[in-house]
Parts: sequence; structure tokens; C-alpha cells
Amino acid sequence: MNRGNRVLLSCVYWAFVLYVFVPLLLMILMGFKDSKFIGFPIRSWTLEWYQGVFADTEVISTFGYSMAIAALSTLVSVLVGTWIAVLLEGRRFRGRTILFGLTILPALIPGIISAIAFRIYARGLGIEPGMGAIVWAHAVHNVPFVVLVVMARLSTLPKSQVEAARDLGADPLISFLRITLPYLIPSILGATVFCLLLSFDDFIRSYFLGGYEPTLPVLIFAKLRSGMSPEINAIATVALVLTAVIGIWAERFTRRQARESDA
Amino acid sequence: MVESDQRPFWGRLSGWGPYRSSMRLLSAGPRRQFLVLVTLPVLWVLTQHLGPMVQMASVSLTDAYPVAPGTETHWTFEHYLKFFTDRIFWMPFFRTLIFASVFTFVTLILTYPVAYYLARHVSPKNRMLLLLLLLIPFWVGEIVRTYAIMILLGNTGALNLLLQSIGLIERPIPFMYTSFSMGVGIVYLTALYMLLPLYSALEKLPRSLNEAGADLGAGAWTRFRRITLPLTLEGITSGCILVFLISTGFYATPVLLGGPSTTVFAQTIAGFFHVAGNEWPTGAAFATIMFLAALIVTGVFQKLMNGLRRGDVR
Amino acid sequence: MSTAPLVSIEGISKRFGKTVALEDMTLDIAHGEFVTFLGPSGCGKSTTLRILGGFETADTGRVILDGKDVTALPPERRAVNMVFQDYALFPHMTAGQNIAFGLELKGMDKGGIRSRLEEIMTFLELTDYADRYPAQLSGGQRQRVALARALAPDPALLLLDEPLAALDANLRAQVQRELKSIQRRTHKSFFFVTHDQQEALAMSDRIVVMNQGRIEQDGTPEQLYFQPASRFVAEFIGDTNLLEGQVRDLADGEIVMDWYGRTLRGRSADAVPSRNAPVTASIRLEKLGVYTDRPDTDNVVPGRVVGKTFLGSRMLLDVAVDDAGEATLKAYVDSDHGRSLGDAPLWLGWDASGMAMLRD
Repeated sequence: MNRGNRVLLSCVYWAFVLYVFVPLLLMILMGFKDSKFIGFPIRSWTLEWYQGVFADTEVISTFGYSMAIAALSTLVSVLVGTWIAVLLEGRRFRGRTILFGLTILPALIPGIISAIAFRIYARGLGIEPGMGAIVWAHAVHNVPFVVLVVMARLSTLPKSQVEAARDLGADPLISFLRITLPYLIPSILGATVFCLLLSFDDFIRSYFLGGYEPTLPVLIFAKLRSGMSPEINAIATVALVLTAVIGIWAERFTRRQARESDA
Repeated sequence: MVESDQRPFWGRLSGWGPYRSSMRLLSAGPRRQFLVLVTLPVLWVLTQHLGPMVQMASVSLTDAYPVAPGTETHWTFEHYLKFFTDRIFWMPFFRTLIFASVFTFVTLILTYPVAYYLARHVSPKNRMLLLLLLLIPFWVGEIVRTYAIMILLGNTGALNLLLQSIGLIERPIPFMYTSFSMGVGIVYLTALYMLLPLYSALEKLPRSLNEAGADLGAGAWTRFRRITLPLTLEGITSGCILVFLISTGFYATPVLLGGPSTTVFAQTIAGFFHVAGNEWPTGAAFATIMFLAALIVTGVFQKLMNGLRRGDVR
Repeated sequence: MSTAPLVSIEGISKRFGKTVALEDMTLDIAHGEFVTFLGPSGCGKSTTLRILGGFETADTGRVILDGKDVTALPPERRAVNMVFQDYALFPHMTAGQNIAFGLELKGMDKGGIRSRLEEIMTFLELTDYADRYPAQLSGGQRQRVALARALAPDPALLLLDEPLAALDANLRAQVQRELKSIQRRTHKSFFFVTHDQQEALAMSDRIVVMNQGRIEQDGTPEQLYFQPASRFVAEFIGDTNLLEGQVRDLADGEIVMDWYGRTLRGRSADAVPSRNAPVTASIRLEKLGVYTDRPDTDNVVPGRVVGKTFLGSRMLLDVAVDDAGEATLKAYVDSDHGRSLGDAPLWLGWDASGMAMLRD
């Protein structure tokens, strides 16, 4: 209300924005430094690091590896998560709260514990560390997010619509496919992108369940253990741009979709 | 001559024999429909969500792992007892809890004004945009962002360059590999998880409450303390719990940004799993200890906050 | 048209947890009949509707539709369609696609669907709106699309769940007339649910008044209005005076009662009270005549005006009938007459046929 308060808070907001963006901008800049060593000030600039990234087959294949894992795990997460959301948002039943709690559980467990638990479980099931294990761990870990997003959307669908479809001759499956699913599409798309990014960015599970081939975050981590270098900056920046662009596009797309389908 | 089917797709599907009979079978009454719907989720949740935790607890209580064929295994608490034997185990544990609490608090103080600004002083039209602005860096991933902090805080990093160029210091301050650098990293990574619940709680607060307070003579700080703050307590609680849980779970960030004096329990636990296998039960026990500790801390916190809320209503 | 009822509800009961929604309801609906279920919220009218539609299953009893027992049948297999209170139009389909929805699922071929679509849209004057989405239609248009969608598959019974609740007063009266006309023209049975008694009186062939899961009275609008069987019905429909007195005598079809020292005669409908038992009588406000001289009606009561309320075309009078002012009756007079009345004593008179003795 107070003018002074407003200005002060506005400064806090923009300071926060700086805090959030500046480190990333610096990291991007550092990738252009013409030197093997990280550090300011930057005296000369070069594109060789970025060129190196795109020429390095190992790095390219790591990108592809991460993207493949993201795609596969997202497919599973979204299918299972949507199914669970439809169940939980429907008729109330005994044990619904417990089921909801168990569904959300993977999202609440601290990272290290989650990774360890998956590692032990995988061993128990005879799953060797590698792509399959990572895809599985990502799929399970991301289900809660899908469930929350889809449930939120589903709760705004008037029950009378599904009843009307049933009334006119649609059995439960057809009324789901023709009425409920179209309504859910914006949230399913949003959840899909969310899962893709979560999986692509994930470190802890990929680290403990990975085999010889690393995912991108694990690769960057491993390289960083040996010391910083502009090469890592270039890799990290490419990852940054990829994920940021997809994230922004997804936010805008889902908002537009939701607006249109509510119209 | 076969007549081409002139019916639209959905008509053909619902009239198709096999479809009809299988649907009759599956949806014969609400009870069966429910059964069809509930089976997969229950199986999934029990085996994939609960299963790993139960297995971890079970391994932590085993005396030999991996199980050699032909040998018997016994239940034992020895791995839990190991935790209490050495300083090298419970120091990182308590350090983790304290760090997580402190960083959670810092994140709260840092993000509350930002959430307040967004919820109160920004028009609804712009709110989404400004919020989106803050979301962008969070799409980027923990490793990349941790690295960005490394560049910021290094001896030849941007912060030291800035301080030197202003003339505040002559030689670079070794920010890195300290609890300070780790804290900056963790707060950096978890800020959004505090911001969103706070923003959501503040947005739901009707402005009229503040106006009524002002009308009755309360100054800005009083209004905040007695109206806004108590009513956002729920958002604060969920934000704090979320950030606390995430903070205790970090592994890469403490490794990259911290040093030998800041070893966190996640590193201790991880240590048991770099080896072939027989240390796994101990690692599992430690992980279980940490999980239980996190539950207890957040449970107590929640109860405390609930008590606060009810107290205010009286 | 057969004389057997189209719908038979036999002994239907339904509880939700501890709440009894319906208790042992039995009822028939004939072909081509406009039946309205009337009552306050929670009386069970919507539950009956939903059981007919198949959205709830009754705990006991049966529902027979056109000779077939449909009690266990899911909604998609019943030849019953519903117009929902919020219309429930599918937002991602055009008006035309909405209306065609039920036709597609019946297994009709594209040509048949097209012609039936045209037929029903012409019937309800919706041909201009076929390609519009529900968001682009007005409230009244949406209602017609909902109606068209429900009528298109030619159901034997049409259920309407308070469909006029969302319309403003002017539109409502017009739509009432339209609905009645549509029902007449299509010869379909309409099962209409509302809490608005004026709506029920205007549209129905038959009204079933419900209260707390039971049928209070079942009859034509006139029967319910002029011969209410119970206190609830008398109070729910129209404005009424309730007179509580004691039975003095029983003659054929008439009951004589004592009321504040006056002897009054009224018709008994279902009421069969015993001598000296307490009884309540109901007389509609407009049935009370207000006279300056003692009138020659069956029932005569002197009194004086203690209150006047101006209602526009008419005036509501509170008339005290005894000295203590405890017993008052309300009556309508037109405004001019009302303005002329002062403190002077007057007479209220009405015929025995206008007063009904209530069951409880």
C-alpha cells in the first residue's frame, strides 16, 4: 500500500532476479574465455570451446543418452501418473488418503535416500546399474508430479459432463476418451515437459544407478571433480539453453492451451 | 456386395462385438469398475513407491549382504549401533540437520519479500510473467547451477573480482569449499520451492483484511505481524518442510561447493555404496536413520506451527 | 398409446450414510405425462431423478421402464436422457456435435445422423448455431442445445434437473411455456424437478410434492392448490392461513371445527380425524372475502384490520379475529379497497368448499 514499501520490495524482487540469473550469465560468459583456466577477468574471447562441444562425439552421445532416458521415463510416468490421478480424483473410497500419501512419497524423500533405496531395490530385483535402472528410477520418482498436475486439472472438470456423456450412451471408457481426456490434455502436456526436464536434470539417481555411460549431469559432475575448465562451461551452457528454452516454451504453451480449452 | 460402413468411428466402436462384451465385463457395476481402476495403481504404489523403502529398511537389519547362497541371514541392529560409535559418523549427521535448518530459514527470509511483492504489488496481469521469469533458471538443473555458483565464488570468481575492483579487499577471499559457499549453493537451488508455497498463500489472502486492519489503526509492521504473517503460516510451514527435506538430500552440491570441514551425511552414506557390497547394510541403516530424523524434525516442526496457528485464533 | 405406465417406481429407498434420502417410494408415470417433483432441498427429488437416470443405485426396490426392469442398468443402456442443471455441454465440441453425440453412439449412420440433427435443430430453432461452441452461446441458447441433445436420440422419458434455475425471471416464464409446448408436441413423458412451486403449477400435468424422502401429496396442480392434504403442502404451495382448532362434528365430506369460539365448516380430503381431536384447516388468502356487512357465506368471522402491506396491484391485510390479537388471518384485497379500510370492524367470509381440513 505504502509507496515506500512498494519501491523497497520492488528492489528486493529485482535483486533476487539478479541473484538468480547472474551466476548463470557468468557461466555462459566464461565459456567464451580464451584460456584453459577459469577465472575473471576475461581478456580474450573465443568460440573454440563451443565448437569443441559440438564436435565431441562423447558429449553429443551423452546428450542423446540423457534425452533418450528422459523420453522413456516420461512416457511411463505420464501413463501411470494420469491413471493414478483419475483414480484419486474420482469417487471417494476407503484408503484414498493412504494411497495418495504413498503416491506422493517419492517426491518427499530426500535425494540421497531415494537414490540409495532405488539402488538397493534394483540389486534385489537383479537390475544392473545402467540405462534401464535409471529410466525406471526416473519414472517412479516423477509420478507424483504428474499426479498432482493432472489431479489439479481434473478437479475442475464438472462431474455433470461425464454423467451427460454416460447418459447419452457412452460407456465409461468412451466417456473418458471423448470427454475427460480432451479436457486433461493441457495438463498432460505440461506434466510431460515437466517430467522430461526433471529427468534430464536429475543427478542423484543417475549417479547411483548409472553404469559406465553417464548422463549429462553426471558427466559434468565427473569433469568438475577434476577441476573447472571452459569446456565444461560450454557443455553446461548448451544444456542450460536447451532446458531453459523447453521450459519457457512449455509454460507458455500450457497456459495458452488451458485458456483455450476453458473458453 | 459388402456395404461400406457409414457409421462414424465412435458408433462403430461402441457397436463392435468384442468391444461391447469386454466393456460389459469390465464395467458390470460400480464395484467392478472400481476394481479395474484401482488394481494397477495399488500394485504400482506398493511395489515401486513403498517397496524400495521397505527393502532398504530390511537390508539395514541384515547381518550379511550380499546374501551368499546357502548361508543364513539374521536380523541385527549392529549397523545402527555403528552410527553411535564414531564421531566420523554422527558429526556429519548433526551438521546436516543444522545446516539444513539454517539454510531453510535463510531461504524463508530471502524469498518471503519476493513472494510478498509478487502477490501484493504486482498487477495480476504481470504476475504470471514475473513469476515465469523466476522459474526459468529452475529448469536448468542442479549440476549446472551448482557450477555457476562455483564460478561466482571462486578465488578468480566474479564476486572476488567485484570486491577487488571496488577496492574493498586486496586479496581474494576464499569463499569456496566452506559452509558459506555450500549455503549459497543450497539456498540458490531451493529458493523456488519456498517461493511457490509462499506466493500461493499470499495470493489467496484477501486484501480487504489488510485494509480493515489499517482502517482500525494498525501500522504497516503491525498489520504484517498480526494479520499477514499468521494467515500465511500454513504456506510458510509447507515451504519450510519441503526445503528442509530437499536440503538434507543434496549430495553433489556439498561435494562441489563444500570442503572437508563441511562433510554432510549424504556423503557419509554414499561412501558405503562405492564399495562392492558388504557395507551396504550399514549404508542402508544410516540412510534409514537420516530418513527417520528428517521425519521427526518435520513432524515436530509441523506440530509447533499448528500450535502457533491455533494460539493466534484464541 | 398403451395405458400401462411408462415408468414404475416400486418401493425405492436410498440412504447416504446416515441420511435417509428416499423412503419406500412408489409411483407411476404415464406415457406423455408432464410430472413435476416439487420440494425443498434435501427432500429427495433429485435423488429420485438420478435413480431414474441410472446415476445412483437404489438400496431397495425396482425401477421398471416400458415393461423392463432397469434397476441394475447403467445410464448408457437406458432409454432415458437428462437435461442437467448446468447444461453440461461439452466445451470442446460445437452445438451440432453435442447434439449428435448420442446419435453416434446409437449406431446410426452418417446420413441418418445428419437428417435427425437437422430435424431436431429446426424444431428447437437452433439451425444458425450448429457450428458455434458453447462458450459462444447465450444462456437460453445453451439450454436449448442441452434440450436438443437430450431429445435427439428419441428417449422414452426425459429427465429435467431444475433446468430453469440459471435463467433470469423474464426468460424463465418464456422458457416455461416453450418447454410445455415441446412436451405436448413430442408426446414424451417429462420428469421435471424443481423447488419453485410457481413453476410446477404452471407447467405440470401432475405434481408430486416431496418432503424428507417421502411423498406428501400427488395430484394435479389444482388439487394440490385447493385441496392440500397436509400442512406441509398447504404451506409450501401458495400462501395460506392455517387455523388450528378442534373437531366438533363430522358430516359427509365435511368437518365442523371450533376455532377461537367460532364454528367453521370445511371439506375433508384425506383427513379423517376423530371427534374432539385437534385439526388444522387451510384457507387460501385470496379465498377470504372482506366485507363491511355480515356476508351470507358458510363461514363468517368478524374482525378488525391490524396491519396492511402494499404489494402493488393488491394489498395484504392482517385481520385480528379476537380481542387479544392472538388469532389473525391474512387476506388479499385490491389496493383501492385496502386503502379505504380503517379501524372499523369488518367481516371475513368464505365457503366451506374453499377450506380444506389437513391430514396433520
